Amino acid sequence: MHIPDGFIAPQMYLPAYGVAAGLWAYGARRLRAALREETIPRLAVLTAFSFVVMMVMVPLPGGTSAHASGIALLAIVFGVWTAFVSVSLVLLLQALLFGAGGVTALALNALAMGLVGSVAARYAYLLLRRIHQGFGLVAAGWLSINASALLLALALGVQPAIAHGEDGQPLFFPFGLSVTLPAVMIPHALVGIGEGALTLLMFRLLSQRGWVAAR
Amino acid sequence: MRARVALLAYLAAIVLATTVHEIGLLALGLVLVLALAGREWLRILRRACLAILLFNLVVTLSYAAIAGVQGRFSLDYVVLVNLRVLLLTCMTFLFVSRVNPFEALAFSRSLTYLFTLAYGQSMAFKQVLDDFRLAFKSRRIEKVGLRDRYRHSARVGAHFFDKSLHRATEITQVMRSRGFFDD
Repeated sequence: MHIPDGFIAPQMYLPAYGVAAGLWAYGARRLRAALREETIPRLAVLTAFSFVVMMVMVPLPGGTSAHASGIALLAIVFGVWTAFVSVSLVLLLQALLFGAGGVTALALNALAMGLVGSVAARYAYLLLRRIHQGFGLVAAGWLSINASALLLALALGVQPAIAHGEDGQPLFFPFGLSVTLPAVMIPHALVGIGEGALTLLMFRLLSQRGWVAAR
Repeated sequence: MRARVALLAYLAAIVLATTVHEIGLLALGLVLVLALAGREWLRILRRACLAILLFNLVVTLSYAAIAGVQGRFSLDYVVLVNLRVLLLTCMTFLFVSRVNPFEALAFSRSLTYLFTLAYGQSMAFKQVLDDFRLAFKSRRIEKVGLRDRYRHSARVGAHFFDKSLHRATEITQVMRSRGFFDD
């Protein structure tokens, strides 16, 4: 789901860094206040958890699969700020140590996946679990993927409008919203169902082990 | 100190590369980066090409098809965007191969510990995940159904969750016993 390097104009990625920096500082302060001396080890290990969950497969019909994100589970169990900071650290690790994902798009990816995905998942779950917990978990998983994908599709889709040459040719990503929205959202609508099912199954296993309350 | 300067130079170069829209200048930048890579230039170039191949191919072919139909195809755009992405990726791989990122982040002790721990744990988890994958593959004779694949993925996720919380407690105790929190 990440946006790679080179497709986002500085008019967008620089302000995104400004917004993300403030939110990272706030998130880190919140975590430090809540966890105290356990902040570093817990955050490090949850970053590793987030890293590895992003490598776990979401099975799709027909024998294919996609990568899970695990963001909904992190946000539901640990809260939005833990999920946001952990996912941001994973993106930083991937960009700096593996050269994957890209440094210019890091802040935007972190805001979309870590923040918007987490907020959508957590609040959808809190709202819908009153009706049915299982439905709330599946919806949270679906929304975590699709809310992030929507933001990334919007970010990509406005590139031709905000960065183009004098002849009207795009300078970064070439397609407008009429292409990015269906191209990004339709596959993610399907992957989101898988992510939702996986969120439900993992949550149930964690409830059986006593890590989370089954309600 | 050297690593921090390199990090700042790398970030400045990244921003600069995204503000330049001249194909000649970007090509010059790529030549410069590959020259800085020395003997590793071919390895870095090959790795960067492989890393960007899929996404850039999809974007380029889709652009060629859509812009071609609309009669506004521009070869300059195709060269510009692919060259810029290649330059940025080569810069990242050069930075990663020359600079220790842990040293570059050493301006904050907490950040260095966090980054080091997260990296170490991630690598350990990745190895276990690879083992799980191989075990799952080697133990199936027939094609596995969707339901079993979900069960497997969920159990793997839950296993890492368990492991994460135990590790967090363990590492906190180790750090406490070594006086990390006494300062």
